[in-house]
Amino acid sequence: MLGDAGRGQVNVPLLQVDGLVKHYRGGGMFARTDAIVKAVDGVTFSIGRGETLGLVGESGSGKTTVGRAVLRLELPTAGTVRFEGTDLASLQPAELRALRRRMQIVFQDPFASLNPRRTVGASVAEGIEIHRLAPKRDIPRLVGELLEEVGLDASYARKYPHEFSGGQRQRIGIARALAVEPSFIVCDEPVSALDVSVQAQVLNLLLDLRDARELSYLFIAHDVALVRQIAHRIAVMYLGTIVEIGPARTVIDAPKHPYTQALVSAVPEPDPTKSTSRIILAGDPPSPANPPPGCPFVTRCFHPMKDARCTAERPRLRLVEAREVACHYAESA
Amino acid sequence: MTAPGRIGLALLLALASFAIVGPMIAASPVAQPDPLNGAFLLPSAAHWLGTDQLSRDIFARLAYGARISLAIAAIAVAVAAMVGSAVGLAAGSSTGLVGRALQRVINLGLALPRIIVLLVVLAAVGRIPPPLLGVLLGLTGWPAVARLVRGETLRLAQAPYVDAAHALGAPPARVLLRDIFPGTLPALLVATTLGVADAILLEAGLSFIGVGVRPPDPSWGSMILEARDHLANAPWLLLAPCVALVLATSAATLLGESLRRSLQPDTR
Repeated sequence: MLGDAGRGQVNVPLLQVDGLVKHYRGGGMFARTDAIVKAVDGVTFSIGRGETLGLVGESGSGKTTVGRAVLRLELPTAGTVRFEGTDLASLQPAELRALRRRMQIVFQDPFASLNPRRTVGASVAEGIEIHRLAPKRDIPRLVGELLEEVGLDASYARKYPHEFSGGQRQRIGIARALAVEPSFIVCDEPVSALDVSVQAQVLNLLLDLRDARELSYLFIAHDVALVRQIAHRIAVMYLGTIVEIGPARTVIDAPKHPYTQALVSAVPEPDPTKSTSRIILAGDPPSPANPPPGCPFVTRCFHPMKDARCTAERPRLRLVEAREVACHYAESA
Repeated sequence: MTAPGRIGLALLLALASFAIVGPMIAASPVAQPDPLNGAFLLPSAAHWLGTDQLSRDIFARLAYGARISLAIAAIAVAVAAMVGSAVGLAAGSSTGLVGRALQRVINLGLALPRIIVLLVVLAAVGRIPPPLLGVLLGLTGWPAVARLVRGETLRLAQAPYVDAAHALGAPPARVLLRDIFPGTLPALLVATTLGVADAILLEAGLSFIGVGVRPPDPSWGSMILEARDHLANAPWLLLAPCVALVLATSAATLLGESLRRSLQPDTR
């Protein structure tokens, strides 16, 4: 496991994201203002080989946009994404397509992420065909092996997506991603659309595959308890920025940012003898089209030392007790 | 499929077989040897629907007219579907200048009054063979198809499985052909079926005013044109092509609406 301390010393990280920004022109023709929605507003992190970074935050925090921008499914407004040292923005379209073999994605909605008009086998074989990874006659056998690797029957290749449950479809989506033998997979809330009983199975599958194939994950989720089970490091997003990032245990066991504290307090405590005090945040997050000038969290912050500095000056990520945290008063949390 | 849809399909199939088989079993559609005594005959065993002012067998003319009218409609919707989906796919999938330019072209095509354009062209070129008339109808009918296909393309391009194809490194053309184009087919099928009714009516209208299929070639529209002069003394001349027109357009509309309900339950 590569902690923050090891980063940058050994080799190049598998994925290096620097100052990633994604702004959307909001409003539209009939809006009064031409607002710019700052979905992602300067995000920096790296992921090592075999490492899993958990990206957590509530809806609208920009975590999915980060995942999509990392894979250039959306073009970032600013910032760089380096994969194995290569700046993705510097690649020609054909070069980028070739590199897509190495980085894949598993989507949130297993019902929309498979083409309903193509057989499961055709969907799983897609990547093998595109990158000509095997002669045509071997493809059915490879597809069968991939389906078995994700816990499905090889004969399912001839069926259509509508014949499967959500969990099975998610396994098909994982098989499709594995077909091109990637080293990095963006898991965009891969289990949040599934029944709780199925969530654990799919999560375990992802864990097994990580070990067997030495995969790196960017694991996006809104559930801290889930991320704790799979992530080596964890990054907490709020309103388009990372407010706390560090080793998963460190951050979850002793969160320093008030927002992380609130998130962690929402995790149910299985031990009834332990007393828990759940932090209920007041109000909604501000609109990403009009964030507060200082700390993005200031409107909902409950930190006792909150003062004028918080509304005036945006806190930067700084090292506090083995993790980086963006809060002026993190030491006294 | 709904019951009206099944009726529409059955009617269309019946009309199509009438167009194919009818001319084989019918009497000769050309004038009889005795034009004076053979004209304006009432329906009989020899002439099932009677004869017209030139002693031509109406059943035979109706059957040949079905062949011509339905063939023109089929060619028209085929041309419109092909040109329309090509332009619509291109407009929906290209971003920037090309996409915007194509959308302008589609809008321009929609803004032009189709019947006026056809009148001008047909007046200029004069008599043209029926298949060419079908092509002409298709070339003026594609913008509506293109607008539809463009919308479907834009909608499908947002689908996560299209993202997945891009993420796998599929070239844009492959994504368009394998993931997006098949998704537009249900809407295209509905539009094409409804377009058949449009094309039949348009051809009949043009033939009725004398610029489409021109006498003596039989088409349902030109038969109505010729029958109009004899409305008072031989109304059955008018009846046959009118009933055929109503049946054909109703059938295509019933089938199209039924297909829309089963293939696109989210619209309307």
